Amino acid sequence: MEILITFLRLVLLSMVPFVLASQGTMLGGRTGIFNVAQEGIMLLGASLGFLVSYQVGNNFVGMLAAMAAGALFGLLLAYFTTTLKMNQFVIGLALFFIGVGLSTLLPKLIIGITLSPPLIPTLPEVSIPLLSQIPVLGPILFQQNSLVYFSILLSLVLWYFLYRTQRGLELRAVGENPMAADSLGINVVRARYWTAILGGALIGLAGAYLPMVYTGTFTEAMTRGRGWLAIALTFFGGWSPLTILTGSLFFAGVEVLAFRAQVIGLALPYQYLLMVPYLATILIMVLTFRKARVPAFLGQNYDREKRNL
Amino acid sequence: MKTLGRTILPYLIAIAVAFAAVGIFIAAMGFDVGRAYQTILLTSFRTPNGFIQTLLKFIPLTLQALAFTVPLTAGKFNIGGEGQMIVGGIAAAAVGIVFSDLPAVILLPLVILAGVLAGAFWGLVPAWLLYRFGLNEILTTVLLNFVSFAFIDLVATGPWRDTTAGHPTTISIGQGGWLPMLIDNPPLHSGIILAVLVAAGIYIYTSRTTGGYELVATGANPRAAEVFGINVRRMFVFSLVLAGALAGLAGSIEVAGVHHRLIEGMQSNFLVLGLIIGLIARGNNLAVPFVAFFIAVLEVGASAMQRTLMIPVEMVFIVEALVLLFVLLSDVVRRR
Amino acid sequence: MEKQPILELKNIRKTFDKLVALNDVSFSLLPGEIHGLLGGNGAGKTTLMNILYGLYRKDQGEIYLNGERIEIHGPRDALQFGIGMVHQHFLQIPNYTVLENIVLGTGITNRYTLKLEPEARKVQELCERFGLAVELDAVISTLPIGSRQKVEILKALYRGVKILILDEPTTNLTPQEVDALFDSLRVMVNDGLSIVFITHKLREVLSVCDRITVLREGRNITTLDRKEASEEVFVRAMVGEQMNIEKSVYFARDTKTFGEVDYTAPPLLRLSGVSLVNKEGVPRLKDVSFEIYPGEIFGIAGVAGNGQRELAEVTAGIVSPTSGKIEQNGKDVTGVPVGERLRSGMAYIPEDRLHDGFLPKASVAQNLILGVHRQPPYSDGRFINWKTVYQNTREQIQEYNIKTGGPAEPGGNLSGGNIQRVMIARAFSMNADLLVAHNPTRGLDIPSMDFVYRKILQRKARKQATLLISEDLDELMLLSDRIAVIYRGEILGILPREAFDKYAIGRLMSGIRSTEAATP
Repeated sequence: MEILITFLRLVLLSMVPFVLASQGTMLGGRTGIFNVAQEGIMLLGASLGFLVSYQVGNNFVGMLAAMAAGALFGLLLAYFTTTLKMNQFVIGLALFFIGVGLSTLLPKLIIGITLSPPLIPTLPEVSIPLLSQIPVLGPILFQQNSLVYFSILLSLVLWYFLYRTQRGLELRAVGENPMAADSLGINVVRARYWTAILGGALIGLAGAYLPMVYTGTFTEAMTRGRGWLAIALTFFGGWSPLTILTGSLFFAGVEVLAFRAQVIGLALPYQYLLMVPYLATILIMVLTFRKARVPAFLGQNYDREKRNL
Repeated sequence: MKTLGRTILPYLIAIAVAFAAVGIFIAAMGFDVGRAYQTILLTSFRTPNGFIQTLLKFIPLTLQALAFTVPLTAGKFNIGGEGQMIVGGIAAAAVGIVFSDLPAVILLPLVILAGVLAGAFWGLVPAWLLYRFGLNEILTTVLLNFVSFAFIDLVATGPWRDTTAGHPTTISIGQGGWLPMLIDNPPLHSGIILAVLVAAGIYIYTSRTTGGYELVATGANPRAAEVFGINVRRMFVFSLVLAGALAGLAGSIEVAGVHHRLIEGMQSNFLVLGLIIGLIARGNNLAVPFVAFFIAVLEVGASAMQRTLMIPVEMVFIVEALVLLFVLLSDVVRRR
Repeated sequence: MEKQPILELKNIRKTFDKLVALNDVSFSLLPGEIHGLLGGNGAGKTTLMNILYGLYRKDQGEIYLNGERIEIHGPRDALQFGIGMVHQHFLQIPNYTVLENIVLGTGITNRYTLKLEPEARKVQELCERFGLAVELDAVISTLPIGSRQKVEILKALYRGVKILILDEPTTNLTPQEVDALFDSLRVMVNDGLSIVFITHKLREVLSVCDRITVLREGRNITTLDRKEASEEVFVRAMVGEQMNIEKSVYFARDTKTFGEVDYTAPPLLRLSGVSLVNKEGVPRLKDVSFEIYPGEIFGIAGVAGNGQRELAEVTAGIVSPTSGKIEQNGKDVTGVPVGERLRSGMAYIPEDRLHDGFLPKASVAQNLILGVHRQPPYSDGRFINWKTVYQNTREQIQEYNIKTGGPAEPGGNLSGGNIQRVMIARAFSMNADLLVAHNPTRGLDIPSMDFVYRKILQRKARKQATLLISEDLDELMLLSDRIAVIYRGEILGILPREAFDKYAIGRLMSGIRSTEAATP
């Protein structure tokens, strides 16, 4: 029982970067902007979040910095694709490169090359009064860091927004048929910009979570492909906030099993376990991808003046 | 001549703008921009050693870039060159270690072939997932890179581990598996000939043959190609397997030519640079070797710059990414 | 006293890159009229109205509404000025309901619950008033084309527009549905709306419009009262001085001179009991059987989406039928892949040229050899002979009047009409025994249509067979020797030329079998 509680607590803890990065991806995708720079934005968010927290001495400021960097990348993505009509995937790759490059460059410039990296304090647990006292559920659900609560709340809010408000109806229309949305006076460009920016911010925050919760410091390529996995999760979650939230539990569960198998005491060479998250994701894709419902204009730019040939 | 000028001009402008932008940043950090850029651009041409270093980088970069542009010709994105190279390297090293006593006539082709086949296999996996289940190749190729990281760690820390080395490394492959040297000092191995031949072959294939035409047609519009009798799913598979073979070749050349053993991390950042090269070349297989040479010059210069001026190598990586961005932007400018 | 125009467009100019789409075009709309905007494809009708609706920016010119100059920056502005437009390709969200599509973007849904009952009542009332029955809770993608068009009109009416633009609204309607649409238009006009009716079909404007403006090649040719002018005047205005109307096929009443069908010979193509079930398990073709004889043009009529595309693809070998047999020249070709079919006497013009037939990123030359690229003289099977390819390309550019910079120009630079010419050139240069042509004249201007008609008819003399699938009933009735009507994947009837009748075909198109129709 103790092991199960520990496991589930870890799953909820590890779900956060998946939820944030995936909801960020989903948000942009709902208006047709397909971000593939997650891995780069997350690394930049991790690096910058760590550096700013370290310099300022405040994790919250670090998170804001990571979000700002992510938002800036989202803005660039929107500008290059929506305004300049450049290929979304290629621009996403370019931003990925820049994010990766900056993530290792910045620590070298600011801290220099050190043997033992400096540490920042990790995010504290926030116990919710009363609720945290519930047996079993209490420690799992209500003794977590603030971003665990935030990511769950965010998912619920996004769901309500997309499916129960007029703006949400309009927003989804942009991703399904931008020309139709435009012809009814819905501002396609504005919708694409703000979802890309907010989505980028969430992805940046997802990156900042890694040093702030797992390691206390930034190490090169510490995302270990979580950005790419988040894309897979978004497809798996059918580009819908609540399914993404539940799907992230699965992704986090696999990760916990693989990266923290020692906790449970599995006697395999650890390299085999390291392969598991990626192979499991591919398997999940095989099982579910064909049924996945994707916004019809995902990844496609909209040009009002393009002639119908 | 005029059209060649028109093709190259945007590149020159993009390079100039990227250097200028990063130059401002370097200056602001308090470094000497002039010396930094001299080092970056001229290290390759100042000494024989610098030039040969550049050629040694040129080989894997060209092959990695082709591993990206060949499937791109068919409209598919292979982001898995890294994993394909690693697996190729593993297979090459395994053959070289297990059959270390064989004479060069047999062992060398075996080592190279093992890398090519293993890389092709690593390309076949996403290709099959695409063919059979319609899985997007972008994600599967990327995810397989991460699997290969664990795989190389397993091999380099396993029974073949060279315990005298601090870093996960295998023991040396048999001498018969080493690529012969063209020049002994500074050392240049004959893999360069292989790389150039392969690049030329790829160009001729895609531009002159019917198979190459079908690859191009598939990339231009897979649905139309299918309607007019081209088996596009087979083209997808073929292009991804060929890409895997190219990246696998890069892996076996690194093992047989440079390290003579398997070293964890030997794939360096060749994948990302290969993607940048492929995209700067706009997927044009003929342009790839030339762009690859340029990037190799920058990379060699970057290492020298970090050694002598203490400016991080990543600075040059930012330059490269910006060159790419500005080259892409030049399309937009031309459209207007 | 002369009425003041409700809307005026003055000296509008619009260019796309180097192409002048509209050159100094003026247009005025009187209150309460149905104004026909007539012209062939590429004349600039849709472009002009897209400018009015705010989708395109004009380069020059002015727009006046009730005598006041207005600027329209986007559809939102146009709707605010009371201008609505029904596009030829419906602008709808396929996975939303009818009601959601109608209220989308109006800002009058309940912002935080999306409850739509009050709006549903308003829309229902509009449906009844204008005779546009649709089920409001149905999801758009499940509706037939006729209903989707009603949704599109309701969208405009719901927004209370005063001016309604309809772009080729009769495409894909049966003659009966066309009549019903015209009735609805009359109700709208009596209700105070003014209507712009875009079409390339002369007979339609003559039957429903009050005034008619003719555009040709981006220029304003003339505006006439329907009563003032004869059919000949409009024809001349549409096609220009160059074209010889007497010798044209397009305006001909009879095409007998091109040769007879040899019904005694064995058929060139025979489909027997062909059925197709798609991946989702939905039957798309049901027990289709027919023969096409040497020299015959066999037409397929039907409302789009009733299995035409599947029939074309099964016949061409792109898709294998679930059951049944296809024979060409007496040889069983069921399941023979399209590549082989293209090599053995079959040519194909796909309906959706952009998706199914064209390589935008490849050159014109590369486009023209698609499908024959493995055959001599273009290739020896291993290498492509680019010299020959380029030479043939230059000849075809000449013959088929493809406007392009040359064989090496990227296909993406071509206009829609020229892309269609590439499709035509590719198919006809194969000189195949069997041609499967699906909407071969879509996007072509009248002289080019005439050229294609002649090319198709010339096949008769060579005793070649043509399967002509078209959404243009006039085209089918002009060219075909027999017409089969397809409805939900089934052939409901095959009519010989002497039995061609628009309304009879229309009944079959809407699923009413001839036996039922026979009862008066």
